[in-house]
Amino acid sequence: MGANIITARPSALHASDLAGQLQSLAKELGVSRWDLGAACSTDTSVQVDRGEAKQLKGAQRSSITVRAWNSDGLVGITSTSDLSPAGLARALAGASEASTYGNPDDSPGFSPLATAPLAQLEQPISEPRGILELLDTLKQAEADLLGRHPAISTVPYNGLAQRSSQRIYLNSEGACREQQLSTASLYLYARAEEDGRKPRSSGAVRLAYGAEQLDVAGCIEEAAERTIQHLDYAPIATGRYTCVFSPEAFLDLVGAFSGLFNARAVLDGVSLSQRDSLGSQLAVPFLSIHDNGLHPGNIGATSFDGEGTPVARLPLVEGGILRHFLHSEATARAFGVPPTGHAGLGAKVSVGPHWFEIGPAGSTGELAGAANLDRFSQDGIVWIDSLSALHAGVKASQGSFSLPFDGWLIQGGEARSIEAATVAGDIRAVLKGLVGFEGQAKVTPDGICPLVWVDELSITGDA
Amino acid sequence: MLATPTTSLTGDSLDQRWRDRLETVLAAGAAAGASLVEVFIESTDHIGLLAEQERITNVSPAFGRGVGLRVFLGDKDGFVSTNDLSEAGLLQALDQALGMLGLTRANFGAHGFAGLAALRDHGASKENWLRNCPGLDESTARLLEATALLNRHGDHLQARRGSYARDWQEVLVAASDGTFARDIRLHQSVGINALAADGDHRASLGRRYGSSGRPDDLRQWDAEASAIDLCSSARSMLYADYVEAGNYPVVLANRFGGVIFHEACGHLLETTQVERGTTPFADKVGDTIAHEAVTAVDEGLSDGAFGSLSMDDEGMEPQRTVLIENGVLQRFISDRAGELRTGHARTGSGRRQSHNFAAASRMRNTFIAAGPHTPEQLIGSVDRGLYCKSMGGGSVGPTGQFNFAVEEGYLIEDGQLTKPVKGATLIGEAKEVMPRISMCANDLELAAGFCGSVSGSIFVTVGQPHIKVDTITVGGR
Repeated sequence: MGANIITARPSALHASDLAGQLQSLAKELGVSRWDLGAACSTDTSVQVDRGEAKQLKGAQRSSITVRAWNSDGLVGITSTSDLSPAGLARALAGASEASTYGNPDDSPGFSPLATAPLAQLEQPISEPRGILELLDTLKQAEADLLGRHPAISTVPYNGLAQRSSQRIYLNSEGACREQQLSTASLYLYARAEEDGRKPRSSGAVRLAYGAEQLDVAGCIEEAAERTIQHLDYAPIATGRYTCVFSPEAFLDLVGAFSGLFNARAVLDGVSLSQRDSLGSQLAVPFLSIHDNGLHPGNIGATSFDGEGTPVARLPLVEGGILRHFLHSEATARAFGVPPTGHAGLGAKVSVGPHWFEIGPAGSTGELAGAANLDRFSQDGIVWIDSLSALHAGVKASQGSFSLPFDGWLIQGGEARSIEAATVAGDIRAVLKGLVGFEGQAKVTPDGICPLVWVDELSITGDA
Repeated sequence: MLATPTTSLTGDSLDQRWRDRLETVLAAGAAAGASLVEVFIESTDHIGLLAEQERITNVSPAFGRGVGLRVFLGDKDGFVSTNDLSEAGLLQALDQALGMLGLTRANFGAHGFAGLAALRDHGASKENWLRNCPGLDESTARLLEATALLNRHGDHLQARRGSYARDWQEVLVAASDGTFARDIRLHQSVGINALAADGDHRASLGRRYGSSGRPDDLRQWDAEASAIDLCSSARSMLYADYVEAGNYPVVLANRFGGVIFHEACGHLLETTQVERGTTPFADKVGDTIAHEAVTAVDEGLSDGAFGSLSMDDEGMEPQRTVLIENGVLQRFISDRAGELRTGHARTGSGRRQSHNFAAASRMRNTFIAAGPHTPEQLIGSVDRGLYCKSMGGGSVGPTGQFNFAVEEGYLIEDGQLTKPVKGATLIGEAKEVMPRISMCANDLELAAGFCGSVSGSIFVTVGQPHIKVDTITVGGR
């Protein structure tokens, strides 16, 4: 036996067997209405440190979440990693017991779309590579990155990982969803330091359906370029600046405030939007935001959500107007609309976005924003490359943010890295303060977006 | 067929009955040439509850079992986790981990494994913990009481939430150096949150309390005092102006103010950072890295504290580790791999979220020790600055740059607290800020929190007395 044993596929879950077991257990417990989400995966990953293996990891994981409805129509839930018959029985009994505490005001049901046709996703299943092959690839990538500039001394955060996974949704009315997937990821985060100056760091990430499809060279190139671009830095004076967000940074910002589009948050009273916000002007008239989990750029897309509802493209903002919310079955019922394929699986079902498409509402005039924007053509532009600490610096229910960022100040057509700074503002003002877009939209792991110009944001620096 | 883990040999409890199975695995690993083989088995039982307004809106039980198996060859290691606890499952995991290091389980030939030591059973006195915790009726009633108290004491509250989590974990650690130890852990946390809104004014605030090893904790929780405290803060912050950006002297309140030390310095004193070359303090033991007013400690011993342990996740009993004494760096927080790779002796700090993670050097209860001053003296020493009563989360980057959000802040003008301000973020670098902590008050208190890092999210305590930082960059509007 050698290292290639790691390439073994996950122990397969068989939906029909699982359905049969649950049906039988449910009958024993007197549970007539149930559903289940199951997942299993096999992961392998490697990390390196200056030419040596740092950590090699393998994991086989399995989990199920069972929901059971009682005779009052209340739902309970239990999750477990124990997929043995005893584990399933305990999970179903636990869910049944928990249903006593179900919320009569907001009880989820089966999605009316849990048996609707699913979109066909182009997701090639790749054979996993041996872990020592992954290790060699990552060692070479690290060496290449270290060789790009004498100041790049280490790549302290790095990893090459691959996953084979399977997920299932079943319910007692015969819904049966199943999806298999293989994915791989590479991240390289370099640290560079020059004599007498502070260390700087930056990096890049790539996703693909298999390790052999990863754009390793592109990841090295981007990580090197971004790190080197931050070596020559200077402090920035505190003040208000026109900011140009990179696609990644703007997608992060919109994602952090996705409660604006979240029907669950609206119903809970913690969203900036309200029930009657649909149809209102949320942003400048040239902004369009869609959630499109099915976009080919969304590596690892799922064709159905936690309740079995098909994933589909959904317009959230068109022409600056708020058009739709993201829904689970329960929130959709409360709003009198169909579920949108954005649900988790729970007693209180969470709702969340998949993958954003952000850009101009049209190609000309009022639908496109300011034309021919070029960040290098104006002085005093702050170009925000990446935002940090969104978990700490975003107040989603207040709309405010104050976030550290990596970026550049543009003067005389030249971009110089900013030493350390935060950008602060209010998302509603940002969306209504967009100047326009620059360049072509870029596909990122979180969505697709061009460079986004925003007027008058507060920057705090050290100068 | 389902993947069906088989554990029938051992029954439900993780205990002495696992010895033979574990010795088989460890002997096989040692015979294959591994320097060390370590097995971490866990059984977990979790419940999460949420109350919103006058309703229980979520009851989420979860349970599970799993094993993490780690093989060392010199200072290199391979790690495999699985939910399959059968002997075949453990041996398959062993084969995979050995394979990562170029080793194979060829035979049961000569090896240096002398068998497991007598079981050190830290869990024996804790068998009743789970059943002594409040049941669902009692727990849900406490949360509804809390949201009702928020309603009673608050103004303009648009959303009120109470949450409770109970995490029970039984662990068994066995290693080819003879380590054989068992423990039972119980962590409970309860939180309250409120969103106050009045026209365009909004303020969202929260409080969280946590303990370890105290089954009675939810019963003992003073929900009314917590609600009054939160509502008072919400009232202050609802109409607060945004803070003006700039560099100010800052006084950080005690308890969760300790997140500044945790993020800015504590992470940089973990041996994982030494291994990566991402700490500026790697070669600074014996050097002055902070103001002489600063003594900082990491320990796992405080009774009932969220980060306390009877043993770490590598079977070692925790210690009280003085990290910085009067400004001078004393030692690092270290685990087994950290000791192998950096030479810093283990401190009982090998921790992980679950069997899915290899243990790493992680903080436990980490705090700045009390000083000689009163909080009023600290505030009185500032002409114009910021008082941070309550902190949000924070993080530290790979170059030591940290940031954290101020949830509740007040201006200090002429030595007095004046207007509430919101939207502040404190940013800086550990190396630069530590020498600027010039005064420590005499009111040390700890606060429970969660720390996410290389080995997952773990229970920790942060803490400090009121401290004064002479100047720090405050991000704002």
